[in-house]
Amino acid sequence: MTTFSEQFPIVFQALNVGFLQTLKLFFVTLIGALPLGLIISFGSMTKFKPVQWLTRFVVWVVRGTPLMIQLLIIYYFPGLVLHNPVWGGGEDGRFFAACVAFVFNYACYFSEIYRGGIQSIPKGQDEAGLVLGMTRGQIFFRVKLLQMIKRIVPPISNEVITLVKDTSLARIIALQEIIWAGQAFLKGSQGISGAIWPLFFTAVYYLAFTGVLTVLLGKLEKRLEFFR
Amino acid sequence: MKKLIAVVIALTMLLCFAACSKNNAPADEGKTDLEYVKDKGVLVVGITDFEPMDYQDKNGEWIGFDADVAKLFAESLGVKVEFVEIDWDNKIMELDGKTIDCIWNGMTLTDEVTAAASCSNPYFNNKQVVIVPAKNADSYKTAADCKELNFAVEAGSAGEAVANDNGFKVISVKDQASALMEVKSGTADAAVIDLLMAMAMTGEGTSYADLTYTAGLNDEKYGVAFRTGSDLVDSLNAFFVSNYADIEKVAETYGLTDALIEQK
Repeated sequence: MTTFSEQFPIVFQALNVGFLQTLKLFFVTLIGALPLGLIISFGSMTKFKPVQWLTRFVVWVVRGTPLMIQLLIIYYFPGLVLHNPVWGGGEDGRFFAACVAFVFNYACYFSEIYRGGIQSIPKGQDEAGLVLGMTRGQIFFRVKLLQMIKRIVPPISNEVITLVKDTSLARIIALQEIIWAGQAFLKGSQGISGAIWPLFFTAVYYLAFTGVLTVLLGKLEKRLEFFR
Repeated sequence: MKKLIAVVIALTMLLCFAACSKNNAPADEGKTDLEYVKDKGVLVVGITDFEPMDYQDKNGEWIGFDADVAKLFAESLGVKVEFVEIDWDNKIMELDGKTIDCIWNGMTLTDEVTAAASCSNPYFNNKQVVIVPAKNADSYKTAADCKELNFAVEAGSAGEAVANDNGFKVISVKDQASALMEVKSGTADAAVIDLLMAMAMTGEGTSYADLTYTAGLNDEKYGVAFRTGSDLVDSLNAFFVSNYADIEKVAETYGLTDALIEQK
């Protein structure tokens, strides 16, 4: 069998491909879920009761069920129940289904963070704005939004770090992210079988990436410090 | 402002529901499975990375005994072949959900599979064997010797079924490779995996040089699974008979001739 130094380039290459998939899922989820979360948070705060109930019900369902089950439902439900496999069997379809599940799931968590942030702004500011003749839209975008952003950076950072590692759940619908790539060498792939270390080595990728994110998010927090 | 947002959200949600219900119409009503695959022009084969049955060569092309025969079969149908890696636990869901058209991956014909899917005639012989550290191998030559051991087996695998039939103490792990890892790390005394994998992964010159296989627990046969009631089963069985000479050649390529089942 091959030695570690012979295995390393092959494994490194495969893990990089897997990690690229992990990163793609991570960024698509962030780009989709951050704005969608804001929309959902408006829905759960609106005074129009039916929309508020519906939104809060959906948030409850999404936060109350495991993401793994949501992935299975979103990927397999169309084919199993509606007899129309909209995602197809290929890798792109799996990735797209995973994106939908992750965006929706994280948007619901983000929405609650947004809601907390918005509701933490004292009511006096709304009243002051109204007295000054500002519209509700102006008050939200010019007065409250930046304060809210500053307050929600730490909890959002927390979710973002969790998201990095949650991406590995997508392997349940056979999305070939980095854990999948690492496990492949256990079962045997590209002439290497029964290699245990690639699976554990994936942790290095996660650790490095969350390290970078921690620094970046810390910087963001610092930059927002002048808003008090 | 808030009213406007509320209306927008309400509309979005309505749209979502509408989009969901629109997909309700089955796209392939009244068509047989064979027609469905021919219309698509591609046979989607669900596999896992499983040497020597389905694995990738240096260029990322799927090869192996099963992969090569699947290519020949697709060719005989006049369609292209696409290999999709699946999570083995979800194989029946993949099949029924039409994300794949068949499971063709050194699959043991167990009651579980034959009950949930329509399977081809068996084409390959395999058996489940006991894996133990090589230094203990002499003490565990038969199934009866192994009663006291703690076994690691792949969840839902044929190995698990056989281990339970023998009354072994088992814990279930994710896959056959994890079962080997359990034995190597000493968290389990022994594992049950299939002979094909045992030949490839244990003994001199492998990562598991200190493990070996001993007692054979059963005989089992490999088959290909299609959706329940699929007419592709008959197509494949006929293909097995008419193209047996080609299949023999493929088996020779991978050194598996002895395990092949003759098709008549």
